[in-house]
Amino acid sequence: MTAAVYDAPAPGRAWLPRWFTSEHPLPWLLPATALMVVFGIYPALYAIWLSLHKRNPVLRKDVWNPSANWLKALADERVWNALYNTFLYTGLALVIQLSLGLAIALLLDTDRRGYGLLRALMTLPLVVPPAVTAMMFLLMLDGSFGVLSRSLYALGLLSPQYPILATSSTALGGVLLADIWQWTPFMVLIMLAGLRSLPKEPFEAAAIDGASATQAFFRLTLPMMSKVIAIAVLIRGIDLFRIFDYVKVMTDSGPGTATETLTSYAGRIYFNGDFPYASTISVITLAVVIIVSTIFMKAFRVRL
Amino acid sequence: MEQSVLHRTLRDIAAVLVVAIFMFPLFWWALTSIKPMYAIFNKDHVVVFDFVPTLINYAVVLLGWSRAEIAIESGSTFGVGGTSSYDSRQTILDSIIVSVGSTALTMVVAVLAAYALSRMTFRTRTGFLNWVLGQRFMPPIAIIVPLVLMYKAAGMRDTDNLFMGYVGLILIYALMNLPIAVLLMKSFFDDVPKDVDEAAMIDGATRWQTFRRIVLPMVRGGIAAAAVLCFIFAWTEFLLSLFLTTIIRTVPVKITTFVTSTGSEWGFISALGTAAVIPGFIFILLVQRHLVRGLTLGSLKE
Amino acid sequence: MSFRDYDKKTFIADTARDFALRRISKRDFLKKMALAGVGFSAFNAGLLGTGYQRGKGIISSAEAQTPEEMTKWLKDVGAPFKGSKVRYTSEATPPTVVLNQIKNEFTEPTGIEVEIEIVPLEQVLAKAIQDVQGQLGTYDIYYLDQSWVATFAPDTVDPVSYYKEKPDLAMPGFDFDDFSAPLVKGLALYDDKWVGIPFDIPIFITMYRRDILEKLGIKPPTTFDEFTAAVKQITEAEKANGIYGTGLQAKSGHYSLECDWTAAIWGHGGGIFGANKKFTGNDEQGINGLKWYQEMLKNAPPQSTASTWDGQFQMMQSGQVALVNSWDEFFPGLDADDSKVKGLWEPMHPISSNVGIRSVDDVGFGEIPNVGHQGGSILGLSKYSKNLDAAWLFMQWACSKEIMTRCTLLGGFAPMRISSFEDPRVKAKAVVGPGTTRHLEVVKWTIDNVMASEPDMPLWAGFSNNEIPVELGKLLTGQDYGGDAKKCMDNVASLIDKAVEDAGLL
Repeated sequence: MTAAVYDAPAPGRAWLPRWFTSEHPLPWLLPATALMVVFGIYPALYAIWLSLHKRNPVLRKDVWNPSANWLKALADERVWNALYNTFLYTGLALVIQLSLGLAIALLLDTDRRGYGLLRALMTLPLVVPPAVTAMMFLLMLDGSFGVLSRSLYALGLLSPQYPILATSSTALGGVLLADIWQWTPFMVLIMLAGLRSLPKEPFEAAAIDGASATQAFFRLTLPMMSKVIAIAVLIRGIDLFRIFDYVKVMTDSGPGTATETLTSYAGRIYFNGDFPYASTISVITLAVVIIVSTIFMKAFRVRL
Repeated sequence: MEQSVLHRTLRDIAAVLVVAIFMFPLFWWALTSIKPMYAIFNKDHVVVFDFVPTLINYAVVLLGWSRAEIAIESGSTFGVGGTSSYDSRQTILDSIIVSVGSTALTMVVAVLAAYALSRMTFRTRTGFLNWVLGQRFMPPIAIIVPLVLMYKAAGMRDTDNLFMGYVGLILIYALMNLPIAVLLMKSFFDDVPKDVDEAAMIDGATRWQTFRRIVLPMVRGGIAAAAVLCFIFAWTEFLLSLFLTTIIRTVPVKITTFVTSTGSEWGFISALGTAAVIPGFIFILLVQRHLVRGLTLGSLKE
Repeated sequence: MSFRDYDKKTFIADTARDFALRRISKRDFLKKMALAGVGFSAFNAGLLGTGYQRGKGIISSAEAQTPEEMTKWLKDVGAPFKGSKVRYTSEATPPTVVLNQIKNEFTEPTGIEVEIEIVPLEQVLAKAIQDVQGQLGTYDIYYLDQSWVATFAPDTVDPVSYYKEKPDLAMPGFDFDDFSAPLVKGLALYDDKWVGIPFDIPIFITMYRRDILEKLGIKPPTTFDEFTAAVKQITEAEKANGIYGTGLQAKSGHYSLECDWTAAIWGHGGGIFGANKKFTGNDEQGINGLKWYQEMLKNAPPQSTASTWDGQFQMMQSGQVALVNSWDEFFPGLDADDSKVKGLWEPMHPISSNVGIRSVDDVGFGEIPNVGHQGGSILGLSKYSKNLDAAWLFMQWACSKEIMTRCTLLGGFAPMRISSFEDPRVKAKAVVGPGTTRHLEVVKWTIDNVMASEPDMPLWAGFSNNEIPVELGKLLTGQDYGGDAKKCMDNVASLIDKAVEDAGLL
């Protein structure tokens, strides 16, 4: 690097307090802090405050009653069912997307001709809005006309008598399919980045020692990728916990409550105008996300 | 590692096959958009190619044709023209304004914060990082009511002031994307050895000058990668856009309005859905090289 | 309207149709139009040629006849509001879509801009509630589904009294008496107040595939029992060909399922609430109705339990089902050019109950049991509007005789006004083809004789979108209750009775 000549600190700045110069973190963090205080803290506090009210649907007023919604939520079977579904959904999606993502990343991780295009194509599902993805799969999984449903019938994997999204045991799988299609590419992207940043030397040494590709993968790649994987799981997990669009569009939490997640239940209540109770369930979701992600970060020693 | 020709061919086949499987829904979607109704819903068999393709759906969503014009064009009946509720030109523009605007804002805010978080040590650093990550924890449903009231009070509803409406959406998207952008950018900065900064500062540069002239240019790839992700998240967001705006219509919200009380307009839905993939894909292609290389999540290497 | 007017309008309509069908040349068309006194600006004429000017679209003359008196009145009365903006949010119902297309005809003379925000039904509700609760004044006009009328009753201005209060803004000859009386009673009125003006009236009628019934030698059914028998017979005979007896809108958790359910229990002599305001869907008749519905589901495409009205329409249009008891609004679409079954469906009076209908004295909350389940909506003038008078002008225009009739002409859906049913242009379109009106006679009969209405109560929007369809969904898809209709309804009863009591409505 060629030596650059820098201006001396402008004399006019000398009077500025130190915490207001670029040597101090404050000015750097100020814009982010402002954004988070105004648009982050206030709405969150408001949501908590709202959850301490009870809605009077006749007068349409939210009346102060701190325990009403919380007791209602604890006794509400649908909250527990939604919590279960949320965990099930998040867990399944994470496992599948992670393993698929890693496998596809390994497959595409080469500099040979044409692979660049394949990698670019692979990211394409990410740019489709989830609400649109959901409609897309809704059409393809339609029990009477959908191309996927019809193919599954033809293969004998499903019976036309039980359309995938209309049957309580398979509906969650149908929704998952859309999620997996959309977000596996995200995992591929992050895994590819991780693979690319791996140092070459250990692999060369292992090759000399005569280790097989499989051994190298389990002994070297996986351990060295563990931090990438942890971050990917964290980011994706947080989003999965708040899953809304797919469930809303594809099954509307149904059949019955078979695909009802915490946020989709909150959404249904919100759409019917009981904002305080919807807030209560949202705050519960928030609390669960915080608890689970804290445990996760502690357990896997994720440092941000 | 040496690979036999057979091995390589098998890998090529597998790679193409996997990508093809992931492309299939998009292919089907695009195919649906040029199908007439009877080919989308056919009770006897799935219609793949045996139909007469039509571009009418695109004419409606991208050129603003009304049904009446279609009807006259096909010579069957007549009706009244006027503004069609399926005209999506403004929608695509709205989506671009909001996505580009929020991506730019996010990146400015995030790059500044990430640099400080990477380079400076202060007591609240870990706390601050957790706080940033926490912004992504909140379910959007929970913050809609407070945000609407807040925007109303501040005159930031698009019904009060269209410009402020865009600003409002841009600000909230910036917050939504802040965690990803900050975390990614911090890892890129971590990747740049601290010696670089120190050398520059010994030469008499201020922090700002070091950042602006030395470090920032070194993380360009990372910025591109983070910007793509921010753009994608803004481009695809649905709930906040739905409730915070009335006049501004982003693509995901607009598409849901094609589900009408007398049936979903699958032709229009798939046409706009297909068209809406294109800007995002162009953006990805432009920064494709940086995207994978840039997303190294540097600090994770150690 | 004079007879000369009638003749002129049908003449214009016929000519325009001929032109559209390329039976006559453009030159002839313009000549004939000139004969009828319809002038074209160069702009419009240009549009009728091959090169369309996009953006403004075309106004085809025959139907773009805002009467001169009205245009003049709009100009005069709208002058003080020039430049103001009227906004309303609505579901994409046929009249709204049409109105959105022709709103320029209001904006041109008055200078009042109109913005219509179109979103799916449930989002309309959430947005309207948000607006009312925060008194945001975002919307000047609310589109209110019949199940929410009670909820929003306190938030709207009574149009009838406002019409009298502000004579200087009152549209001459608006004629509130022209609205079908059952619609006013079942839709617009709550506690003797007009919450809004009836705007849309989808209603259950019975529709059948003439060809299939003829082939199997089945007489079009007139009662529930005959309907059941016919449905079973068709399924048995045609299932191998992919045709089912009936199709349902039984999507779990969706309002459409609730609509089907109410129609089923009313048709079996049941009711939703008793006179004592307790839920009665779990009484004998209610259970019979639900069991009948379960039976129908066995004879419907399995996709029914994931279908709303959208899916049900798809089943009908793709030729998958033969006998349906559902929304009349499907009809024009069935006759559309891209329909596989164009001209094959026939409308008829809704099937009647075999056990009689429960009397209105035995039900609560203003419910009207009958077989013609209606899903109408009204336009309500928001109390919180900042442009109340401009919005009022728009509402009068949108609900005026001429505009409402034209909405019907463009979409083929049922009109609110008696005069629209009688309009010769509407009658002229009662032939097979897109935007047909050939089902409207049946619709009018249904509205006048057997229209049913869901309860009017502030909690109904919640019950009909959440508790009832979700629990029904559990039952119908086998998630819970083991197929036991009674068990399901007992649970719904306990949920609803508790909520009603909790709200202090007992």
